[in-house]
Amino acid sequence: MTKAKPWFRMLLLFAAVVLGQPGASYAADDTDAVMKAHAAQDAAEHAARWKQLQQAIFGGRALADGGNIIKIEAPEHALDAALVPVTLTMNSTTPVKGVYLVIDNNPSPLASHFTFGPRADPHALKLRVRVNQYTFIHAVAETSDGKLFVSQQFVKTSGGCSAPVGTDDAAALKDIGLMKLHLLGSFTAGKPMQAQIMIRHPNFNGMQMDQLTRGYTPARFIRTVDASYDDAAIFHLDSDISLSTDPVITFGFVPDKKGTLKLVVSDSDKATFNHSFDVPAS
Amino acid sequence: MRRGRAVALACCVWLSAAAAAPVPEPQGYWTGPIHGPVAATLAGGSVIHTRKLAALLKRGAVLVVDVSDAPRRPANLAQQAPWLPLPHPVIPGAIWIPGAGGGSIPADVDQFFRARLALASGNDLSQPLVIYCHEQCWLSWNAAKRAISYGYRRVYWFPDGMEGWRAAGLATEVAQPQTPP
Repeated sequence: MTKAKPWFRMLLLFAAVVLGQPGASYAADDTDAVMKAHAAQDAAEHAARWKQLQQAIFGGRALADGGNIIKIEAPEHALDAALVPVTLTMNSTTPVKGVYLVIDNNPSPLASHFTFGPRADPHALKLRVRVNQYTFIHAVAETSDGKLFVSQQFVKTSGGCSAPVGTDDAAALKDIGLMKLHLLGSFTAGKPMQAQIMIRHPNFNGMQMDQLTRGYTPARFIRTVDASYDDAAIFHLDSDISLSTDPVITFGFVPDKKGTLKLVVSDSDKATFNHSFDVPAS
Repeated sequence: MRRGRAVALACCVWLSAAAAAPVPEPQGYWTGPIHGPVAATLAGGSVIHTRKLAALLKRGAVLVVDVSDAPRRPANLAQQAPWLPLPHPVIPGAIWIPGAGGGSIPADVDQFFRARLALASGNDLSQPLVIYCHEQCWLSWNAAKRAISYGYRRVYWFPDGMEGWRAAGLATEVAQPQTPP
């Protein structure tokens, strides 16, 4: 085939992409090789990064493939980098005592560490996080015998760290610490049920620009969340600047009888917020 | 072949109709969200895309400036929390001046940006400048506009950003941020 004019080849490439056919079949030349080399370079960088993080966070402990023990779901193309939903599903025969969520390419990669207590039903967790640039997200489950299992998902989105929180800081700080609880499903004493908490908190990470003053808004973010049922722990969460604004967390717990679900949230300004909710809702 | 061309053309028309219309150039600097659809033009400067930029850089004597944000470690981050920002890749030879592309910037950053450009260009306002950050990022548009306001006559804005550069398989190198003392 004679070399087509560049503009014409561009058109063909466009058509190929739109029709869902591999562009390479039209331009089997340097473009293909460049893309392959680029993908290989990316893969090598991602692998090197994860190796660095395994060392930094888990001190080089062995991580086994998650299999059915832990699965992570997150959208491959997230619409809003500041609100990327992540769902974790755990089905271990050995109890899971904790879960780590690592957003590899965020500057502060350890986004969350959940530790489960006696009232937890650690089979599902959902939360929303900020993603700064294209990255793998790793979910690591730690079973009660101290073994680590990992599952991963690649997410293509960027800019979550500098994305502004609403239109102005005063509005974002209004109602800080307000919480809502939704019980999902019906209450049966002794049976696991799901709950969703919503916490009003801007979770400023120090990288957002105030839309009015043009300065950087000082970091103020949630450090810990403790959920308990009649004073027995459901989970303790150590979190960080990667949690989204107004965090929403869905978790499982086992109410042995009618009781009180209590939430204690503390932030980096040493503020503490407490709320208690009747279960079932009255 | 003619039929293929017609299909391709139809697809292009359909694509451009479906894509979000570019944002008109703001009067002054852009003060809205940094990430999102950007303008298609820059008054007083030129827009350059990846292929042409690679060719321009081969001819040399171009000053390339990256104005992407740098990650900032919050002072109150837990001590044991790992803080591990990725190495920052730039177009080879580029200088990285985070903060130069805000909608309005503190006087010291403005002064630093101006001085750094003057130093790198040898006080030559005819020095070609290329300014970029990420795709769909207004920081580079603002910084390019600012450089034009300093009097630079050959300012290129590169809206494809680092994502466009890397997608073309072009080389990068790691840079450290340069900020006011």
